Amino acid sequence: MRVLWANIEDVWREAAARWTLIAYFFLSTIVIIIFASAINLDIVDGALAGAKLFGKEVEMRGSEVSIEKLVLGVESGFSAGLYLLCTFLSIFATAHLVPRMQEKGTIDLYLSRPVSRTKLLLSRYFAGLLLAGSNVFYLLGSIWLIVIWKTHVVHPRFLVAGAVILFVIAVLLAFAFLIGVVTSSTAVSIMASVGVFMFSGMLVGHDRIAAALSREWQAAIIQTLYWVIPKTAELGAAVFTFVSANSFGSKIELSASPFITTAAFGLASLTLAIWRFHKKEF
Amino acid sequence: MKIMTDSLIEVRSLRKEYSAGIRKPPITALDGIDFTVREGELFGLLGPNGAGKTTTVKIILGLTAATNGTAFIGGLPVSNAESRRRAGYLPEGHKIPGYLTARQAMTIFGRMSGMSTNDIKQRIPVLLERVRLPQWIDVRVKKFSKGMTQRLGLACALVHRPNVLLLDEPTDGVDPVGRREIRDLLREEAKNGTAVLLNSHLLSEIELTCDRVAVLRKGKVAAEGTIDELTRRTAKYKMIASPLDESLVAMFRESGAGVERVNGHLVLSVTDLAHLNALVDGLRSRGGMLSELAPVRSTLEDVFVDLVKAVDQPTEQRQ
Repeated sequence: MRVLWANIEDVWREAAARWTLIAYFFLSTIVIIIFASAINLDIVDGALAGAKLFGKEVEMRGSEVSIEKLVLGVESGFSAGLYLLCTFLSIFATAHLVPRMQEKGTIDLYLSRPVSRTKLLLSRYFAGLLLAGSNVFYLLGSIWLIVIWKTHVVHPRFLVAGAVILFVIAVLLAFAFLIGVVTSSTAVSIMASVGVFMFSGMLVGHDRIAAALSREWQAAIIQTLYWVIPKTAELGAAVFTFVSANSFGSKIELSASPFITTAAFGLASLTLAIWRFHKKEF
Repeated sequence: MKIMTDSLIEVRSLRKEYSAGIRKPPITALDGIDFTVREGELFGLLGPNGAGKTTTVKIILGLTAATNGTAFIGGLPVSNAESRRRAGYLPEGHKIPGYLTARQAMTIFGRMSGMSTNDIKQRIPVLLERVRLPQWIDVRVKKFSKGMTQRLGLACALVHRPNVLLLDEPTDGVDPVGRREIRDLLREEAKNGTAVLLNSHLLSEIELTCDRVAVLRKGKVAAEGTIDELTRRTAKYKMIASPLDESLVAMFRESGAGVERVNGHLVLSVTDLAHLNALVDGLRSRGGMLSELAPVRSTLEDVFVDLVKAVDQPTEQRQ
């Protein structure tokens, strides 16, 4: 526990000293302010006041929509945007954690302590995850509270969507750790993590891509890649579905498979990172 | 597995090879070295660049794995992370993160060594006082001079009260007063039972600090012993006598002795004491008067240079 605490302190102090923490929360605060300003517009105020006065319903495109459903719709749209924002911000804020630790003259100071390499790497991983998680819950929590304050509609699923976002961040952070251990390069860690995220989005249409390919082995590669690489696009859609369920008549229809295969990728990345870190000579 | 031993650091037949690339023979950094450092002993590891000093220290601390052989700290094999529980290390060119203050750095490294917050809080001012940095406690390390960073590194190495201390060039960048203070600090630690392994290029530092020394050369221990033993190794004697004429010098040379004329006296290199006595007898038989005969002590630098220059045929052939 002391090792974990030491790493948390180290990671947070570094983030503060290098302006990462400030930039991280500054950008999040800007998003929160924009949201608060948007929801505070006179037209929104007027619609909400009318809805509160006349049976909690507002007119949208000729049909009556309850204020709860409207809030769910707004929150679900916003959650998809926040999914991207939180993921990218966390990659930029944490990708340096392993390369910086592995610098000559620094790694000796860490490894000469009575801590196993597994414990050291995992402590740093959880410290990074805590940093990313705090920002996710700051962003989502603030927006959730603003919505409650403005509409009096309490929708806990929006807050729980943060857990899915954090899950994706945890997987990408594990991958960034693996790349960091192997290359000792922050830039390569960022590029690889963002690359996996983007590539995964392209592989959503894996069936159509595979069908369009002329050779079977090419199709097999695409299908294999789809199952190996984390399903960031599906998970983004899952966040949206999870938050928006019951808003416009839709129901929660979440498949476990993207979660399981993505978790397997994260676990494999972290295991490989630990194995490589153990083998590495400094 | 813990072995029962008097030594706090024990190195047995340590061998380390580095891969030089595909289809190339491996580079031997360490070629089966052995040494021990006992409780309260200041042990110096000397050697030219690439002799294997840092590799040895890194293996002892588990930063690098040995190809063969074993090393122990306090009886525990170095593969066990617990062996580092009571080991403090000051690496050469260490980089304590510049964004931390002295207090924060010592707190983080103290915690990583398993210390409680209260214990760390009590220990920090005491140690910073010992390394003359008490007023810098809340200043960020990036503002420190090289000597100050070095002294802070030493404080970080000592924070968890280690009984084994491994130091790589500890006085690097430290002013003469600071160097003396570090020497005093190390002696104090040794007096309290700490085994200190000092790795340095500064022979004078080793000479002034260490009780025992091992000289590494091409991955092997070329010599080991106390400073006194090493510097007395060469059988050279200063002779002041009269007359010191050329015929006397010729006679000495004929006996196989090395003879040098230095400032009006002779420096004789003899094989043993019997040889020396034979030379004295030769002087007396010619009616000469001996007024001074004293052993000439080499400096550690002389010993070091001789050992490093010496041809080690088997090693040369292997490499």
